[in-house]
Amino acid sequence: MKLTALRLHNVRRFAGRGIAVEGIGDGVNVLCAVNEFGKSTCFDALHALFFQPHTGTPGAVQGLRPYSGGNPLVEADIRTGEGAFRLTKQYYGGRRATVRELATGRLVAQADEAERFIAGLVQGGTSGPAGLLWVRQGITGIDRRAKSDEEGEKRARETVLTSVQGEVESLTGGRRMAQAVAACEEELSRLVTATGRPKAGGPYAQAIEERDRLLEAERKLAGEVRELREALDRRRALRVRLAELESPEQQATRQREVAQAEAAFAAAKAHGEALRTAEVEAALARNGRDAAAQALDGQRRNAARFAVLRELEAEGRRKRDEALERQRAAGEAGQAAALAVDAAEAAEREARDLLTRLERALRARDAAEALAVTRQAYAKAEAGRAEVETIQAELKALALPAAAVKQLEAVETELVGLRAVVAAHAPLLRIDYREGVSAAIALDGVALADGEERALTRNAVLEIEGVGRLGLTLPQGADGQDDLGRAEARRLTLLEGLGVSGLAEARARESAIRDLSGRLELAKQRLGLLAPDGLPALQEKIARLEAQSAGAAEASEDPEAMRGALVAAEARVTASRMEQRGAQAARDQASATVVEAERALASVASELTGLAAMLGAEEGRAAREAELASALADAERIWAAAQAQVESLRAGAADVAGAEAKYRRMRSVADGATAEIGKLREEAAELNGRIRGQADAAVAEAWQEARDKLATAGARLATLEREVALLTRLRGALDTARTEAREHYFAPVMRELRPLLGLLFEDATVTFDEETLLPRTVSRNGLEEPVGVLSGGMREQLAVLTRLAFARLLAKDGQPAPVILDDALVYSDDDRIERMFDALHRQASNQQIIVFSCRQRAFAELGGNSLQMVPWSPEG
Amino acid sequence: MFRFIHSSDLHIGKRFGTMPEELRGRLRDARHTVLDRLALQARAGGAGTILLAGDCFDTETPSPAMLRQALAAMAGHAPLRWILLPGNHDSLLADELWAATRAALPANVLLATEPGPIEIEPGVAILPAPCTTRRPGRDLTEWMDRAATADGALRIGLAHGAIQSFSEDGGGLDIIAPDRASRAGLDYLALGDWHGQMRIEPRCWYSGAPEQDRFKHEGPGRALLVALAGPGAMPEVTPVETGSFDWRMLPLELLSGEDAATALAERLPSGSVRRQVLLRVVASGRQRPQARAALDAAVAAVAPEFAHLVLDAEALATDCESADLDAIDRAGALRQAADRLLAESQDEARPSNEREAARDALVRLFSYCEAMPS
Repeated sequence: MKLTALRLHNVRRFAGRGIAVEGIGDGVNVLCAVNEFGKSTCFDALHALFFQPHTGTPGAVQGLRPYSGGNPLVEADIRTGEGAFRLTKQYYGGRRATVRELATGRLVAQADEAERFIAGLVQGGTSGPAGLLWVRQGITGIDRRAKSDEEGEKRARETVLTSVQGEVESLTGGRRMAQAVAACEEELSRLVTATGRPKAGGPYAQAIEERDRLLEAERKLAGEVRELREALDRRRALRVRLAELESPEQQATRQREVAQAEAAFAAAKAHGEALRTAEVEAALARNGRDAAAQALDGQRRNAARFAVLRELEAEGRRKRDEALERQRAAGEAGQAAALAVDAAEAAEREARDLLTRLERALRARDAAEALAVTRQAYAKAEAGRAEVETIQAELKALALPAAAVKQLEAVETELVGLRAVVAAHAPLLRIDYREGVSAAIALDGVALADGEERALTRNAVLEIEGVGRLGLTLPQGADGQDDLGRAEARRLTLLEGLGVSGLAEARARESAIRDLSGRLELAKQRLGLLAPDGLPALQEKIARLEAQSAGAAEASEDPEAMRGALVAAEARVTASRMEQRGAQAARDQASATVVEAERALASVASELTGLAAMLGAEEGRAAREAELASALADAERIWAAAQAQVESLRAGAADVAGAEAKYRRMRSVADGATAEIGKLREEAAELNGRIRGQADAAVAEAWQEARDKLATAGARLATLEREVALLTRLRGALDTARTEAREHYFAPVMRELRPLLGLLFEDATVTFDEETLLPRTVSRNGLEEPVGVLSGGMREQLAVLTRLAFARLLAKDGQPAPVILDDALVYSDDDRIERMFDALHRQASNQQIIVFSCRQRAFAELGGNSLQMVPWSPEG
Repeated sequence: MFRFIHSSDLHIGKRFGTMPEELRGRLRDARHTVLDRLALQARAGGAGTILLAGDCFDTETPSPAMLRQALAAMAGHAPLRWILLPGNHDSLLADELWAATRAALPANVLLATEPGPIEIEPGVAILPAPCTTRRPGRDLTEWMDRAATADGALRIGLAHGAIQSFSEDGGGLDIIAPDRASRAGLDYLALGDWHGQMRIEPRCWYSGAPEQDRFKHEGPGRALLVALAGPGAMPEVTPVETGSFDWRMLPLELLSGEDAATALAERLPSGSVRRQVLLRVVASGRQRPQARAALDAAVAAVAPEFAHLVLDAEALATDCESADLDAIDRAGALRQAADRLLAESQDEARPSNEREAARDALVRLFSYCEAMPS
């Protein structure tokens, strides 16, 4: 389809007049005019012609009407593959729509048919969008224009992908799709949230709440109804029971039964008493019989026993006598044994005395012998002691202090030393006489021999014959004279202390002492041998022996024989004692036997005496027994009678316990009935209250109503659920279709878009994404920048180019469609606009493009077919 | 000649919870005023007695006011004599109900609560078979076979329950012998329980409810005027109208392409009675989406004139042809969505609820597109 002319009358500012844009050709057509000149009016009128039915007056149509009123008329000439047509629509008064063949003026279609014709033009065939492609101020003409600037700004920042997707979508789904989606969303949003849950406060949620509320109410009422029915059933049962309990026959029966049971119980009790009495009597009779039988039996047993005891008594006496005899014999034997013991003991004593005496004599003899020896030893010991004392006295006289000789020896040694010292220091005198002279000089009166050397130890006087006396004085105290002097003095003191003249003597004395000591030792040893315990001990021994030996006589008997006699005597004593003991035991036993026999006899006798007393006199005994036997017979008879009485009573005895139990049971039945009546009445009263309360509330009716309402609510909920399901399904279907269409057209449109995009970015190299075919980066002056966020200008250029791409696509399919742009490039700079127009021209080779713009200067250079608005008024 | 009105199943007190609020009061009231209409028919037909064969009350515990008002209404029609039989809804188990009734019993109302002959006037014996429980589980009329009545007296049986298993409550055990009338030598057996009027045999009838309460039985509520010439004589039974509301079902079998709105308009009752008509239009067959929408619109348009009007379109299928789809869109994504929904709605392999959702969605899409300016 291509547009060739547009005319309008009574549209907006053109009240009462009209304009025409004629001669719209192929390629780019530009209608450039200042604002408020009517460009947008043209655009809107054209849009209305194609998209607004002539019958309606929606906002878009209202917008066409002048302020002063009137009936807008729009007319367009078109050319399609089928020919050229003129489309005319008038709104409001005289509304009409016509399609005429342009060549002939023949009316092709009018009214609804005309609308269908027009719709067929713009909605194209089955391959997608067709007819007209609109771009207005960067936003598709198909979108509603009420978008705020803010929204526009937001969209301007969208990515290329989003933008192109949006464009494709709006072209493929179109306004109807958007409206259907919106309507579906709106309806769905009233029911459910975005996540598909019932929306709070919405009809769906309310229906659920209502259903739940009714469910609860119904459940509650159902419970009440059930309760009521139960109460009614219970009360009915109560009433039946009460009627039963309170019926006069039943009460009478109960009373009768109680009375009967009571009587039966009393009778049974009385019978029981009689039986008990009879039983007591029978027991007494039995006791009587037993006593009689016992008495008779006793009598008989006593008699028998008496006879036995008699024999026993005789036997007992015999045994006792025998025992007495044995006792006597044993006593005699015992005496004999005692005598034997005495004799044996006397013999033993005698033997022992004899032996003692003999031994004493023997000891005295031994003592006398010992005394003689001891006395000799004593004498020798006495002599030895004297010798020891002598030697000791000698020793005492010679005794030297132990260390004295050693001291003396030391002093002597010291003296020798000292003398040698003195001698060494003393001046030596030596005279060597001339021949012929001798002994002319004497020292201290001693003549000096020729060549004799004399040492001067002290002041000396030399007498020189014929010369006179020469005095020599030596210095005192020096050269050891003093030490020597003191040693000499000590020696003298020692010697005096020892009483010896010199060391030799002291040594001689020591030797003598040694000899004496040896002798003393020997003497002492001799004495020790003679008197080991000392002389006094010997003396004592002598005294003792003297005493022992005193009275010593001659002992004639043989001590060994004496001892043998004594042993024999002792053995005899032992034997006789054993014998005596045996005799004693025999006597004891005999005594015991006697006692026992006596005791047995006594017991028998006592029993006999007792029995005799019991039995009475011998002559009355038989009579007594007969008497007892008769008494027993009587007692037997009485007992049998009593027993018979008991048996008869027992046979007729009633079960007292049973009767009592029955009586009690009947009693309890009657009492229970009374109690139950009371209880039932109470319960019935309570039930009455409850039932009346619920019945008055017409609970069953309310329940039925609640059930009905619940069913209705359930149905309504089901309807809403179905509604939600259908809306969800519809939305799903619409979304899927939209997505698919987008994907279906996206790639082909992108293919068409690509060379156009290249045009737009002429001064730069654009790289395209292989998959989305969208520009990814732009290299400009060697700088590569990503094409992520689009400017407003870019966005609108993309919108225009997308339309162009679409138009190419449609043209290729043989369905060319005009592209109409109304101030579509407001954000773009002139340079870019120019480039856009290059694109447009290139595109327009086989494509109609109509541009409305106010940017005269910018568009002046563009070339293309320049359109003019001329006044026009409809024919007729 | 003994004449009486035979009716049953008044269900006084029924609340109609499924109905819209504003209608409920009217429906309830109609159940109460039916007593007046019964009395009117009795007087018109020269009958002195009205036999109510059970279910006078809807529940065992009607509200005291409801009960007393009903009794007062009966009393107000003295000397007409009312004989009330307990039915399954108001069986003898409802002793609170019957006790309350007895306590306020007007002189001209007789309770047939014992299975024994009641001589209501010389020569006329009523043999009632009151329901002992909700489901007695046995034939309560059996005793009538052996019941002795005065020689030459009319024997009129009064019972409530099913004679086949078509009972209102779908029971089965407690079936009344259909030939009870002849077996027990009854001159007439007045039955209740079935809400539609029905002749079982010349001497045995279901009177039907005097005021309908559901879309089950054709025709307005009716009672029977019965005339007995004498013992053994054939009863003369005349149906009389007593209903106030008319519950109707309107089957609407549609063909694809048929104008449902017109078909409906032709078959709707005339305007004057609509206020008292509860109508259930049961549509079946097939319809094109537009026609379906038109039917909905027509129903919605006319509904306010009726006491109640519902459209049951469960059985109505939607047919879509390509022209119908063109109304949505000739091409593009919208058309694709419509095509897919149509295919889905016809895909037998899918579960029915999915098909239904798809069909509904398609119809909805139609309605959206209808509303769109093109």
